[in-house]
Amino acid sequence: MQLLLVGMNYKTAPLQLRERLQNSCTDQDIIIPELMSHPEIREAICLATCNRVEIIARVGDAQKGGEFLKSFMARQGNFDLSEVEKLIYMHRDFEAVRHLFRVSASLDSMVMGEPQILGQIKDAYRAAVDRHATGVLLNRLTHHAFQVAKRVRSETEIAGNAVSISYAAVELAKKIFGNLKGKAVLLIGAGEMSELAARHLIRQGVERIYIANRTMARAEQMAEEFHGAAVPFDDFFTFLPEVDIVIASTGAPGYILTPQMVSSALKKHRQHLLFLIDIAVPRDIDPDVGELDNVYLYNIDHLQDVVDTNRALRQGESLKAEEIIDAEMADFEKWFNSLAVVPTIVKLREKTDSIVQGEMERFSSWLGGLSEEDRAHVEWLVASIVNKILHDPITGLKEESSEGDEIPDMAAIRRLFKL
Amino acid sequence: MTVACIFKAALAVYLVSAIVYGGSLLERRVLTARFGAALMLVALIIHTVYFIFHWISEGTLPAAGIYDTLSFFAWVMAASYLALQLRTKTRVLGAFVAPVISVLMVVASIDLGGSVAGSTTLKGALVTLHVMFSVSGEALFAVASLAGVMYLIQDRLLRKKRDKSLIHLLPSLHDLDRINHLCLLWGFSLLTLGIIAGSFWARIVWGSHWQWDPKQVWTLVAWVFYALLLHQRLAIGWQGRKAARWSLMAFSALLLLLILESLLFSSAHNFM
Repeated sequence: MQLLLVGMNYKTAPLQLRERLQNSCTDQDIIIPELMSHPEIREAICLATCNRVEIIARVGDAQKGGEFLKSFMARQGNFDLSEVEKLIYMHRDFEAVRHLFRVSASLDSMVMGEPQILGQIKDAYRAAVDRHATGVLLNRLTHHAFQVAKRVRSETEIAGNAVSISYAAVELAKKIFGNLKGKAVLLIGAGEMSELAARHLIRQGVERIYIANRTMARAEQMAEEFHGAAVPFDDFFTFLPEVDIVIASTGAPGYILTPQMVSSALKKHRQHLLFLIDIAVPRDIDPDVGELDNVYLYNIDHLQDVVDTNRALRQGESLKAEEIIDAEMADFEKWFNSLAVVPTIVKLREKTDSIVQGEMERFSSWLGGLSEEDRAHVEWLVASIVNKILHDPITGLKEESSEGDEIPDMAAIRRLFKL
Repeated sequence: MTVACIFKAALAVYLVSAIVYGGSLLERRVLTARFGAALMLVALIIHTVYFIFHWISEGTLPAAGIYDTLSFFAWVMAASYLALQLRTKTRVLGAFVAPVISVLMVVASIDLGGSVAGSTTLKGALVTLHVMFSVSGEALFAVASLAGVMYLIQDRLLRKKRDKSLIHLLPSLHDLDRINHLCLLWGFSLLTLGIIAGSFWARIVWGSHWQWDPKQVWTLVAWVFYALLLHQRLAIGWQGRKAARWSLMAFSALLLLLILESLLFSSAHNFM
């Protein structure tokens, strides 16, 4: 199939090398025309993200094409090829297909199951299409890769569990409240981590955000950003009855939220559920608070624990994903083999033609003794016999491969005729 | 004969659904529970077809005899649970509901095909209504208590931070609480209607609305208990753990009383 995939990723190359390479590979307007200008490159897509730079191409000659792609990659990063060659991996044909499938299904990602990579591949593909750098093979291959990613996403839970602290907090909140629409959050302390968690929560539909911070200016600034309300730090507990989720992350040396505060707040709010997240070290919330009815208290270690378990869960799900990829590989192979019908027919014709030619030459002395007319008759007779013999297999092959569900075994035909 | 086959088919699919749900618990996969729900829906449809055939051939609604009633109880549980799934994300709750339904169906299949020779006092539209309403109400209480059990498990897991994959699998506290709430509300309304229908019938047959029959007493006790629980939920705002625990206790009491009553007393309510 003459498909090559050449690349460098977070597993093979350190960050500073990837950075240099990525910077020079992001401008598709330069990279794609340059790739396509090489005579051996027929189709090409270039994917450049912070974790990987990969070029997938259909080439004329695999040897020359591969060498070119490697040196091209070294040149882009301004590296010495001999130095970086061992950092560059190259996959051929179906191995390249498998690699692309795994990458798009996020099995090859640093954080397995992360959703961004699929979008990045889609962008790279679109960039190549816009510059007329794709043909039958890469079009089909990339669309198949998108399909694989979709299947893996819907049939496994590889992306189902949170693998970051802030997202783990959101997942837990959902296990308590079901839906976060219309819920209210109180941030005590306006640090980076609570800001991140707040962002996640807003995306999930949280409606109101109260922010209490020692420096009021920072609280006001964040309140403006999230369309929330800054509240005085010393009175934050008066807002407890209003909220469902509390994220505490102050630098206070002792507990600032006590069981008394929480239970009196719960009384005012008639027994609703309260999710408390304490990401401060040292802790902000008295652990006894977690003993209260309908209160769920998680600190940074608990959340880290959730994240660790989820990582392991994803690992387990990846086995299922690999099975899906195996199945899809078989599908792709089927399609690819059907492609090969046409070249097989061409080869078959060439072979019979050369046999006819050879035999004619073998009998040239005898043929020379015939009249012009007789010689033409003999030639016509031979050609007609060959055509008659080939007619059924060739039309049969064409029909079978266009019907789609049954693909003729091209390997057998090639073996039979020694093509 | 064919009617019995339809019943057996429904029973078989319920069993498979229960097994698939069990598998989703073992495997820790919500996806599997989705198949369980689909199977339960298929079983419910077959079960409904059975009732229709039964009605055509015997001319009775599933309210005559204890076994028919059990099968109807299972039907209401399946129908209400599946209906609630439309509004809440509680697929895995089926892992509790499906086995209970299966057991009920197995017990109900004991008397399959046998015609019920109930006394004439137990026939008529009002009796049918009385039984159907009461049984539906109690079936909803059963679903409520199963949601309560799962609520308590999820609450404990979240509190102890144990078994994260199970936390991930089980439905959210809010959804479980909501099911508990809705089932209590509807169950109570239906039970009340059932009691009213029964007392009207009693008035016609025995001349008074109330006989102090042991089952009537127990039902009244249960009714008062659920009335209190509902009051606490609606007026005082009980929610979550406390509500779940109480609905579980109420149902256990109801169950215990039913069993004791049918073992120790004989009355117009005994079908055995």
